Amino acid sequence: MLHKIRHACAGGSSVELPAEMPEFPHYSDPVEKFRQELERVGGVFLDGRRSEELAGALGLVLKESDSTEIYWEGEELFQRHGISFTLRDPEAFAKGSLLYSFHFRHRVQFPIVLNSKPAERSDLARISLSASGARFGVAETGTVVHEVKAGRGRLLSLLPPAHLVFLSERDLLMNQAMLFLSMPPGQGSALTLVTGPSRTSDIERTLVVGVHGPEKLFVILTS
Amino acid sequence: MIKISANVQRALADETLQGNLRRAFVDTPHPRDEAVSEVPNWEELRRYARDVKAHTLSRLPEYLQSLEEKVLEQGGKVIWAETGQEAVQFILDLSHRRGVREVVKGKSMLSEEIHLNRALERAQIKPVETDLGEYVIQLAGEKPSHLVAPALHKSRKEIADLFVQKLGMAPTGDVLEIIATARKLLRHHFLTARMGITGVNFAVAETGTIVIVENEGNVGLSVSVPEIHIALMGIEKVIPRSRDLAVFLKLLIRSATGQKMTSYVNCLNGPRRSDELDGPQEFYLILVDNGRSKILADDFMRQSLSCIRCGACLDVCPVYQTIGGHAYGSTYQGPLGAMLTPLLTSVGEAPEHAFASSLCGACHEVCPVGIPIPQILLKLRERFQSERNQKAASLSLEKLAMQGWARVMCSPILYARLGRWARMLHKIFGKSGMGRLPIPLFSRWMKHRDLPALPPRSFRELYSSSQEVS
Ligand code: SF4
Repeated sequence: MLHKIRHACAGGSSVELPAEMPEFPHYSDPVEKFRQELERVGGVFLDGRRSEELAGALGLVLKESDSTEIYWEGEELFQRHGISFTLRDPEAFAKGSLLYSFHFRHRVQFPIVLNSKPAERSDLARISLSASGARFGVAETGTVVHEVKAGRGRLLSLLPPAHLVFLSERDLLMNQAMLFLSMPPGQGSALTLVTGPSRTSDIERTLVVGVHGPEKLFVILTS
Repeated sequence: MIKISANVQRALADETLQGNLRRAFVDTPHPRDEAVSEVPNWEELRRYARDVKAHTLSRLPEYLQSLEEKVLEQGGKVIWAETGQEAVQFILDLSHRRGVREVVKGKSMLSEEIHLNRALERAQIKPVETDLGEYVIQLAGEKPSHLVAPALHKSRKEIADLFVQKLGMAPTGDVLEIIATARKLLRHHFLTARMGITGVNFAVAETGTIVIVENEGNVGLSVSVPEIHIALMGIEKVIPRSRDLAVFLKLLIRSATGQKMTSYVNCLNGPRRSDELDGPQEFYLILVDNGRSKILADDFMRQSLSCIRCGACLDVCPVYQTIGGHAYGSTYQGPLGAMLTPLLTSVGEAPEHAFASSLCGACHEVCPVGIPIPQILLKLRERFQSERNQKAASLSLEKLAMQGWARVMCSPILYARLGRWARMLHKIFGKSGMGRLPIPLFSRWMKHRDLPALPPRSFRELYSSSQEVS
């Protein structure tokens, strides 16, 4: 078959690759642009760059998603985004089971379920709120980039009806061109660009939010 | 052989369809215009994409090989299918080996092109379309009528009735209710199916990444829950580098739906790694030719393979807007289908497709990769005509008439004289125009054409008399 394709190509004219990428937009305030674009597609933006704000934001997400627990992919998410937590039962952690923590330092108290073992499909199907860290954000389109790699999966951000994404300000890129230029090629098995909640316009081209993926998408920006 | 003319009258007489088409194209302005006009360097992006595509097509074997290498490195497998049948056979064999009884499918026009669902059903394997529009179409036992919005020809009420009838949904006119019903039923299929089959929007040669664009999350689930993921792609879908994606995604998404980004863009690099929590254990990429290398061999027609399936040309086409997608009788419809159907098969197989266009040029104008669809259609008409001429007796009536016409047009004296005779005849028959000439020889030609009234004096006569005066 390749031979046939080679043969078909042979006589044709050869064209060079364009030398330069077209210009992509830059913004004086990328955070503001990101917020605008995310909100335009129905996502919820929360600024958690200061720690008091962060705790408040977390509380809001729980309330808005009608949840009392958040499922995490891994503990490093806490550290990376400066979310202080105390383990209520350190021994349970060693056994790899569910953990509770209280954010008493910020006077917002709620249990957080830390899921540090491979999530079962049946588990994922009944979780009401999950959270993960974004590899990148893109101001141009209000996009967060979810990277699947060691210890991470594809489903946690897709099956629950609400999903929370932590995005660190230093990972916020200006535009799509910067994203694809800086994308580490092929480390994990999947990279998903997520822009707002799941949607469809298949019925009379009417926009409806929440089909197969999450109906609610929250992004907390951390510093 | 596919005949469009046989379907047109029916489409025009179908009031529901006409109403649905009107709602889709006349009553609601397409958001594309705004999405495109806010990009200041849209034309530059188009040129870039067109050049990247032309370059890639001119070196297709290299890029396909590089793609294959990378996919293999990541633990995936690559299957080369020269025909649709070969691709289908591979999927059937694999399903049998793995004992697969149900398949969840993401939207894929290529799977329509190779009639995959029919083959699966015959082999007792249940294909479940998971894109909402495709799900509706599958329930109705129909074919998609639009590249991007497969159920565009159906109204909310028709869809609700279908759900009541086939799924036992309580009667409702509420879109949310319809979607909740589909979500619940499909969720079950996602969690039980062991094979997911999707299409491919772009495949990056330098990294072996398969890119699939979607809004609902059904593709994400189809490529994450089942143990096996099969991605079907036409050989023309490969692009050289990751960075090109930035441009192609911008063009595709804005042209297709007027969004800046879709909810999800899935970039997939093979099966799950051993240390990842989920994802398919097996990943297969099927590279399908099915007539594409034949198109590639023609330097001019090759441009048609740049198509990124955005559907923009359908939305602006006056023919498509009037007759809808089904009347084309083919997998691909609208200007794209008019161009691609005879190219993928032959002008003999689809003799009318190239003629189902007014050549107004709107498709070329919106096409994000600048495919000169009208020119390609003209070339196809030429091809069709020359094939027909070869077949027909060399002294056909039409040929005689055309030869005579050519002689008249070449001789100013003959032209002027015949013109004068025609005007004389006109005077004899009255001044109201000649309407339909009752000449039996021309009856077929005259069926859809009126002969307009002729002015008493020709332009030449007027011109020379005005010269005399001044
Ligand atoms: S021919 Fe152009 S406008 Fe039509 S679907 Fe393909 S890329 Fe889009």
